[in-house]
Amino acid sequence: MSLFGYLLLLSGWLLGLASLFLLAGVGQRLIFVAAGLAVELLGLGLITYRYRALQRGPK
Amino acid sequence: MTANAMSLNLCLMSILLAPFAAAGLALIQQGLGRSRSAAHSMLCSLCALSTAAIIFVLVGSSWMGFAGGAAHGLHLAGRMIDWLGAEPFFASGIGSSLLAGPYRALVLAYGIFAAGLAALIPINSGSDRWRLAAVAAASALLAAILFPLFGHWVWGDGWLAQLGPLFGLPGFTDLGGAAGIQVLGGLCALSVAWIVGPRQGKYTEGMAAAIPGHNIVQVLFGCMLALIGWIGLESATSILFYGAGAGQIALTLINAVLAAASGCLAAVLTTRLRYRKPDASLSANGWIAGLVAGSAGCARLTPADTILIALVAGTLVTFLVETLELRLLIDDPGGAISVHLGAGLWGMLAYGLFASSGASRGALLLAQLVGAATLLGLLFPLIHISHRLLNRLIPFRVDADGDWQGMDIRELGAGAYPEFVLHADEFTPR
Repeated sequence: MSLFGYLLLLSGWLLGLASLFLLAGVGQRLIFVAAGLAVELLGLGLITYRYRALQRGPK
Repeated sequence: MTANAMSLNLCLMSILLAPFAAAGLALIQQGLGRSRSAAHSMLCSLCALSTAAIIFVLVGSSWMGFAGGAAHGLHLAGRMIDWLGAEPFFASGIGSSLLAGPYRALVLAYGIFAAGLAALIPINSGSDRWRLAAVAAASALLAAILFPLFGHWVWGDGWLAQLGPLFGLPGFTDLGGAAGIQVLGGLCALSVAWIVGPRQGKYTEGMAAAIPGHNIVQVLFGCMLALIGWIGLESATSILFYGAGAGQIALTLINAVLAAASGCLAAVLTTRLRYRKPDASLSANGWIAGLVAGSAGCARLTPADTILIALVAGTLVTFLVETLELRLLIDDPGGAISVHLGAGLWGMLAYGLFASSGASRGALLLAQLVGAATLLGLLFPLIHISHRLLNRLIPFRVDADGDWQGMDIRELGAGAYPEFVLHADEFTPR
């Protein structure tokens, strides 16, 4: 799960970066960079969830 | 006095004030930790500063570079992406470069303190269980690779500073180190807190126990020292990398004081409303959070905007500290993640929301979002993976006995307060 979280973090950044290369308008780029940030937060959330589950231990 | 000479004098004076920020942070994290690890905490701060200074001069300064210096470029889709400095290692040639002007030497001096300050931040979250050798190793990693990499992108004419020529946007702006020092340090703090895990006795059956700091007076005194250091650091960043003049430095000073004051008052009021009495350690966190958030736009934002940004930061930090501790089970004794990462990210984005320049509001916000996305999406995985590898070579966490015994006895062989302190759980059966 952690690995998937890292991949999401990286994908979010690449999504934002790609929008800078491929799109021209500020509005379109803003939407894609914000979406990239949302993907990053999802990745961070996954890593946090994994850590929390480890701390709680098996039920 | 010519404008250049005045700017040089101001810059030198600002850099000279920067060590106060390190002293303030060291006192804060020492006071918020337990008394049985107080000497260890201060020694960790000194070792982190020492390691960061030496490694930055030997290696990091080469990769950080400076505006107009040599750099490695990458051709991508017809654009030249400047991604790494290419100055000589070991700061060689710094003596001869003085003939052309002091700029390179000033950037080097600034980098030493900035890398050191970023290296101090994670000590706060690893307090009471992070081993000294691992602190030094993580500081070396930060000063050699992580700080210079991002520092070059933002302050060395790297691709984030060049968003204008590359993509027709305003450049990513970090006038006082909110991103390059605070958020970077905060990300390291999060990574360290995850790797070392909570202190023994912090969570029992999913419930968090309060482990209060041992010397709140030192914490509050540290806040006052930090203000002086912050003014120096913000002024130096603004002069060196954004060409700020005397007027903007005066504005930086005003904004720094207002930011700290608003952040602290917001935390005092929030904790007064939530817990019926103001909480001194959270109020100290509010003070630093205000400084951190205000530093992103210190030399350009109006005092009214700064007050608003710091009020939000001071309020936000009290909720973040609680969320991390109670919901996410992250044991961060000094609140470093909330203060430096949380308030730093808010400050970066707030610059995009409040700053007034020739560019449109959307373009300004977009540039700041690209910077935030780079820190979270590229640098955080790099930080966390390299910390995990480092943890295999030099274990970060002290063993279970050391955790109970305290880092002073375990790692230094003597306590910070040998004549005065009895630990409450010293005579309880284990």
